[in-house]
Order: sequence, then structure tokens, then C-alpha cells
Amino acid sequence: MGALQIKHLFGLQGVSKQDIRTILDNAKQFREILERPIKKVPSLRGLTVVNLFFENSTRTRTSFELAEKRLSADTVNFASSNSSVKKGETLVDTLRNIESMKIDIVVVRHKGTGVPKFLAEHSNAIIVNAGDGAHEHPTQALLDMLTVEEKLGTLEGKKVAIVGDIRHSRVARSNIWGMTTMGAHVTLCGPSTLVPRNTELLQYKELAGSVSWETDVNKAVQDADAVIALRLQKERMDDALLPSMREYRNFFGITEQVLESAKDKVLIMHPGPINRGVELDSEIADGEHSVILNQVTNGVAVRMAVLFLLAGGRNENA
Amino acid sequence: MKTLNSAKGASRVLKNLKLWNKGEDFVDTDIRIDAEGKLVSKEEKDFKPDQEIDCNGALVLPALFGLGLDFMEPLRDDVYTFKNGLDAMRRGGFYGGLYESAANPIDDADKMVAMKLRFGNCGKNDGMDIKFLGAYSKGFGSDSLAEMLDLADAGAVGFGDGGASIPHSRFLRLAMEYGKMTGKRFFFQPMDKTLRHSGCVHEGAYSDMLGMKGIPRIAETIAAYTVLETARFLQVPVHFKQVTCGETLDLIRNARKQGIDVTCDVGLYHLLLDDSSLETLDSAFHLIPPLRSADDSEALWKGLEDGTVTAISMNLTPVLRQDTEVNFEDSIPGALSLEIALPAIWKKLCARVGVARALELLAFAPARLVGARLPENFENFVVIDPDKPSKVTEKVFAGHVCNSPFLGKELPSSVLGTYINGVWTE
Repeated sequence: MGALQIKHLFGLQGVSKQDIRTILDNAKQFREILERPIKKVPSLRGLTVVNLFFENSTRTRTSFELAEKRLSADTVNFASSNSSVKKGETLVDTLRNIESMKIDIVVVRHKGTGVPKFLAEHSNAIIVNAGDGAHEHPTQALLDMLTVEEKLGTLEGKKVAIVGDIRHSRVARSNIWGMTTMGAHVTLCGPSTLVPRNTELLQYKELAGSVSWETDVNKAVQDADAVIALRLQKERMDDALLPSMREYRNFFGITEQVLESAKDKVLIMHPGPINRGVELDSEIADGEHSVILNQVTNGVAVRMAVLFLLAGGRNENA
Repeated sequence: MKTLNSAKGASRVLKNLKLWNKGEDFVDTDIRIDAEGKLVSKEEKDFKPDQEIDCNGALVLPALFGLGLDFMEPLRDDVYTFKNGLDAMRRGGFYGGLYESAANPIDDADKMVAMKLRFGNCGKNDGMDIKFLGAYSKGFGSDSLAEMLDLADAGAVGFGDGGASIPHSRFLRLAMEYGKMTGKRFFFQPMDKTLRHSGCVHEGAYSDMLGMKGIPRIAETIAAYTVLETARFLQVPVHFKQVTCGETLDLIRNARKQGIDVTCDVGLYHLLLDDSSLETLDSAFHLIPPLRSADDSEALWKGLEDGTVTAISMNLTPVLRQDTEVNFEDSIPGALSLEIALPAIWKKLCARVGVARALELLAFAPARLVGARLPENFENFVVIDPDKPSKVTEKVFAGHVCNSPFLGKELPSSVLGTYINGVWTE
């Protein structure tokens, strides 16, 4: 298993194809371990990981915690709702206090863009981004990529449609960077109030030619190898970004009819939790093309790979 | 930074200097300074300096006038004080400035008098020309008119809003209608608060990439248009602070053609930086109005060249370290500027607009805008070596805060010293 060029995982923007390849290849091995009767390996024995979640999370935190335990790390959970953060402690002070307890790896989720990078600048710990604002959620994208590779063999040349609230989605941003790096073409689709407003994004450096967008979902999924539907948050209606769930479902929901123009073996993906009947119809979410539960399993494997490789990289440098 | 104002200092001659002589012209000169930091005339034959310093052709320029100075005192003197501000002015070569503090609305005459007293009592400020903007609404941002007639009598040079977004159209009209009786200019930050929403960066490719909430250009242009239409209707002079995009400058050009009395400034950092700096995710680049795209920045430079832009503003906004040592979106926006403005912009500014226009933008026009005395007779001056780079360290800044996008960076030029109100500082 090779080490990574990156020291932390802030996001997939700028992460090399080689590093992503290494993570995915390692994740495939951990995926096999997860199928064994005894799923635990001693890779992170003696290391302590803190899960620093400033935003509510169930599945991502659980997935990380499980990955850490499968790797035999000592884990500590820190939730801002019952912490000193509530008492006005600054982010840096919180981190320094936790670090004083000799933490090796920090898995962090925060509403603010760039918090993982900020923490890395003020800490010696390895930082793994578990979601920062609407910026990036790299392990979610990696597990999406692992799922596509597992089912279709490769990402190279594949067409992936991401449908929904792109503008507020850290999952979409990480997938844009990660999947295009691995050779896929990404088509973004959503109502004009929920997609990035600036077409310059498509021309940005290495993204040029690899990303396009559509406001017609039928065109977006045409010949798609995979469709990632994003969760639509009800707050978007309150913020006047959308008129109704009903209209969204009628124009942007993934239905049997919409999928008729996709490839025969199209994969249906969703980062969860699903609003059934809104972004995905139930028969699609539970249908033969759905790989949503595979994504969840792959999430543990990918997070094991990330933690293992980052910790290994650090030990080699020490 | 050393101030030669005590008998313990060394007397000196600064040799090989070039004194600005109007237009693009300079004449050779020396500067003689006694041990107390006072200038010594050439007629003083007995002067025997302790030191002779070769300044390698450094330039002697008239001192500058700063727009947009928020010294935070009195309500946030934990962050910054008048004393800090005056120290910063001396270090950067400013002899005067326009005070407007978001935390300290001067919305009645008593506050104006108290502010002037406070300024007058903070030490070595003799001759430092500080002007004050009055508030047009009570407490900034309210729907109640401030006592503008009283404020004008008490010395307000104009009326502003502390950097808040423009008010709703009815109150804007009423404020300008009432304030028109004073004949004073209204200063606005052209920003529509509903279009700004919770944005913290320029709405563009970088905000989209980083998932940060953007402030679109139309938040500025719509606000500017609203103000200009009201100004045209009421015939009230207006000034736009920190214009950030070419579209607003187009509105200003058109407004002037219609006879509207409108002036504007652009911020130091908006000329020198653009939103590509957001990629660093460094909260030092958190400014409001936000740093816009490279094309916007270039449009501002064009506005300097063609005369649309009246002045370059400093927009001094001190921020506590603890409020910058957080992630970008949670940080408090703002930057220090006075100490580093001239070495940061001088070379580029001269290359684009020439020496005379550069000094007009940094010194004469801002002073004229608020009725301050002009820096014509070299009573105050700044000595700059345009070709000697300088490093921006925490020590460069007065006070205990040091928020600046240029902290740790190298500037193309150096301020060798300033002579402000009879005190030589280097």
C-alpha cells in the first residue's frame, strides 16, 4: 500500500489522480475485509481519532466511527451541541484543547468553508474533512467513485449526471473534482436557482471540457452511466429558491420515465437521506439500478482507506 | 518605527532626495532634521548633523489624506483607539483623514463635540486634520432621522451610514431631502442588503467553487442606481464609498452627464487584489464590499485613468486577532491600511496614471472632498523609496491588531520616513 502525496484530506480539488487511485485501490481491499467474519484490522492501533462534528450528522459520523474501530483506533466523539463551543470557546481553542489530549487524527465537520484547512494550520494532527459548509465532502465523493468503479469497472469515459441542489452541495463539488480527475464527464442539472450561477466555473483550470450543465433533466441523464440525485432540503422553499416540492419532483425528480434515456445499466446513487417521491421515486430508490446501500458499505471502506493512508504517510515522514 | 521627538534622538541629513515639484517633475533636495525631529532650514548654517543618510533618490511627496478611517474609539477602544489611528497615520504618511466608525454613529451634536474632544485629548495630534461624518439616521440603519442640521453646525463634513447597506427607498429620500438643507454631501456604501443577503464574498467562479455565499455585482449597481436617481430627483451631492465594479462606474459616468453631483472612491485592496485570493481560504481576505474579479479590478484601474474615480480610500477597519483566527465565513471583515498603503500601491499607481494623478487620488482629492486643507506647501510630507521592497510584519502596524491581506508579504516600495505635524518618524 503506497502513501499519499497529501498530508490531510481537505477536499478533492487539487488531489492527484495517483492519490485518488491509491485511496480507491486500498478501499477495495478494505471492502473485502469488511466481508470477512472478523472485520477488524490492527492498522491504527495506538492512534487516537477524534470525530469533531460541529454540525449534526448520523450516517457520516457513524461511518467514520465504524471505520476507525475497524482499524483498531481509539476514538473520541465531540459534538458541538454539548461542548464548550456552546459556551463561546473559539475554534482554535477547542482544537488546541483537544490536541493537548494527544490526538493523532481529527475528523471534522463544520458549517464553514475551509475549516479543515484552518485547523491544519493551527494543529499538528492529521485533518480529514467530513464536510465543510457547501465546499467539499471528499469521502462521500470517494465512496461514490468507488461504487461506480465497483459496478462499471472504471470512471474513465463515463458520464455521470448530478441532479438537484448543486449550489448548496458539498457532495457535488467533491464529485466534480474527483470524478473529472479520474476521467469522467460530469453533467450538472437543477433548477437555475440551485445551480452555480457562473459559467466561468466550467472553464476553471482542469475542469474545462469535463463539466457541463443542463436545466432539462431528460437531457442531463441522456446516455448517463450513473445518476447521483442530491437531497433537496425543505429550507430551500423557505428561502424562496423553489416554489414547491411538487414542482421540483415534476421537473427534476428521477423517475422511470426520466431514466428511459439513460444507459441500460445506469447506476442510481444518492448520498442520503432520501426524500422519497421528491428527488427519487421509491421504485427507483429500491429498484434494480439502485446502488445506494452499496454506497453506504463503501463509505466505511473508503474512510478506512483514507485514515489508514494518511496515518501511514505521517508515520513514514516521522 | 521610531519617532524622533525627543532630545535623545540623533540629528541627521537625508541626502539625495527628489522633491515633487508639481506634475511629473521632481527636484533634488536634502532634508535636515534636528535631534528633536524638527526640520532645519538650509539657512541654518550652524547645524551639524550626527548622521548623513544617502536616500538613493527616494521621493519626497506631500502627505496623504485617508478616507474611511474607523478608529473604533470610544465604543470599541478594546480593538483600536484614536491614538493607534494617529500613530498609523504618522507611520504611513497621512496628515488627515475622514473618520466614520460603524461602531460609533455620530448622530447628534453632543456626540460630535464629544468625539472632537476625545480626539483632541489623545496626544500629539496638533495639526492632524481629522474630519467627521455625521450619521443621517439615528444609530445607523434606523428609520429615524438624525439631527443633521445640528450635526452640520457642529462640524459634520457630510452624512453617512457607517458602511451599512443603503436604507429602503422612502427613508433614503427623506434623509436626503432633509439633509439637503445643510448643503453637505451624502456618503453611501452602495450595497442592497436583500441582494447581499448573507453573502460574504464576490459572487463568481470562486464563490461557486468554494461553496461560499456570494454578493453579486447587482447588489452594488442597484443600490447605486437607487441613490443616483434620488440624488437626481433631489439635487443632492452624493459620494459612493468603495466602488468595486465597472458597472457602477458606468452609472456614475452617465449620472455626471446628466448633471448629478456624484463622486466616488475605490478601496486600496480592491485595486491590488481580486477574488482569486479566496482560494487560500484565508480570512485576511475577508472584506466588505468583497474583493471582486480580476476584470472588476481592471475596470477600477480604468476608472482611475479616465477620471471617473475621485479618490483612493483606505477603509481602515481594525479587527481583533481572535475574530480573524477563525474560518473565513465566521471571521469579521476588514483590514488595516494606513501604514502600508503607499508602499503597496505607489509604483503601480504611478505606472498607470502618473505621479500627479497618483497624488491627486491619494492626497488632494480626498482632502478636497471633505473640505480639509490641502497638502500644498510640504508642511507634512512622506519620503518613499519606490524601488526598495519592504516586508509587512506585525510591527509595521500601530496598535495591537494586525489584520491585513499583506501581512507577511513583501511590498514593492518602502516608506523611509514621514514628517507629520512637526514630527519626523522613520
